Amino acid sequence: MAYELRDLRASYDGSPVVDDISLVMPSGSVTVVLGPSGCGKTTLLNLIAGLKDADSGSRLGFEGCRFSYAFQEPRLLPWLDCRGNMDFALSGAFPRASSGKAERIDRFLEAAGLGEASGLKPSELSGGMRQRLSLARSFAYPSDLLLLDEAFQAVDLRMKLELMDAFLRLFREERKTVVCVTHDVEEAAYLADRAVVLSPRPARVVDSFAVDVPRESRAFGSAATMEAEAKLYRLALGPT
Amino acid sequence: MDSISRPGRPALAAASAAGVAAILVAWKAASLALGTELILPSPESVLKAAIGLYPTRPFLSGLWATFLRGLAAFGLSAALGIAAGLASGLRPMIGAALAPLLTAIRATPVMALVLIALLWFPSDFVPVFAAFLMAFPIMVTSATEGSRAADPRLLEMATLFRVPRLSVFLRLRLPSAAPQLLSGAKSALGLSWKVVVAGEILSQPRLALGTGMQGSRLLLESAGMLAWAFAAVALCGITEWLFSLAVKAALRHGV
Repeated sequence: MAYELRDLRASYDGSPVVDDISLVMPSGSVTVVLGPSGCGKTTLLNLIAGLKDADSGSRLGFEGCRFSYAFQEPRLLPWLDCRGNMDFALSGAFPRASSGKAERIDRFLEAAGLGEASGLKPSELSGGMRQRLSLARSFAYPSDLLLLDEAFQAVDLRMKLELMDAFLRLFREERKTVVCVTHDVEEAAYLADRAVVLSPRPARVVDSFAVDVPRESRAFGSAATMEAEAKLYRLALGPT
Repeated sequence: MDSISRPGRPALAAASAAGVAAILVAWKAASLALGTELILPSPESVLKAAIGLYPTRPFLSGLWATFLRGLAAFGLSAALGIAAGLASGLRPMIGAALAPLLTAIRATPVMALVLIALLWFPSDFVPVFAAFLMAFPIMVTSATEGSRAADPRLLEMATLFRVPRLSVFLRLRLPSAAPQLLSGAKSALGLSWKVVVAGEILSQPRLALGTGMQGSRLLLESAGMLAWAFAAVALCGITEWLFSLAVKAALRHGV
């Protein structure tokens, strides 16, 4: 099973933002969409989630699909602790107390390395822990599709590695279909099962390819991912 | 560049004590200058009257009755004001419909309200009604401002995760509005005591601080009247202080 966008076009005030994009997102895989800042990546996520209407084209396989999000900033309620923040986001999906919500929250907090910190409030967490909580929340939410909007940006390199490791731990815990937009080539090569490179605005697909490197042999900046990185750099930078 | 350093707690307490001492000295000086206890009794006369008055049953019953009236007025204005204010903030049509009523209440003098209430209610309830009406617009305004304080990015997150509306209201909108609500509630509480006592002076319920104050005035017992008045000031000050402590504790525990 796969989710598919076919010939999608979208604009803001008559100005085209997404131009004729076709994309297949295989179920249970990580599709990383790489593009320069301001090219229309977030618009593409909004089109996928149905938060923005397309001018033309079609979305296939999304009927009844539930989405979860991780944003560039963690978007946590400062007066709730880690568990409370997870509980808040899951309260619509698990309306009854005895529906396994508490166990699910514990499981994902543990997978994100926040088991010991479950009673702490966002102000008591480091920046990396807050972002891990945001990731744990998006994985714990019983969604079919997880959308990551530059969720590993705005942090330093060490924290980015920590976050991507947390992401992969959570991905192993629950294999969702993930669409991640970024402008970071190394991040794309590290995380992607399939990489899609977009042009500057209006966004068009320049190329897309499978990253055939087993996850266990991937490391940030390693030789194993070097080939994919080089290819992504070439595509992202265009002919020079 | 010069920086303004905040003095320590003992220094601030000493400054407050100096302020109180200055008032007492000025009071005593004015009392001596006027030379009559009827116009301005001296601080020691008032203290003596207070020591005689405060342990008596009529005083304690009056104090308790005034306390209950103030609490009732504040409770009513807080409950209805928060509901109306949040509704106004979330639904501009409700805000527009309420605006003329709030303007009319704000523009009405307290004494006019009490006199009107005297025609409608028994004397025990007149101060409650007047204080409720005066505090109500404060609570509505602070709740309206508070309802708009929620971070739009958090609201978007809640929408994307399909969080139920009740949960969004109780766990996101209400805590976001807390600073405005608490500040409004503190002002409304202080105003409630003042209006309750003013209402009591005019409506003369059987048990009340205001009734005691008016009784002393009629008997030309100026020291006694000031002793009753100080009790009202103390009631206002102590409840505001307790409220601030409760708010600080609540904020510390993340309400």
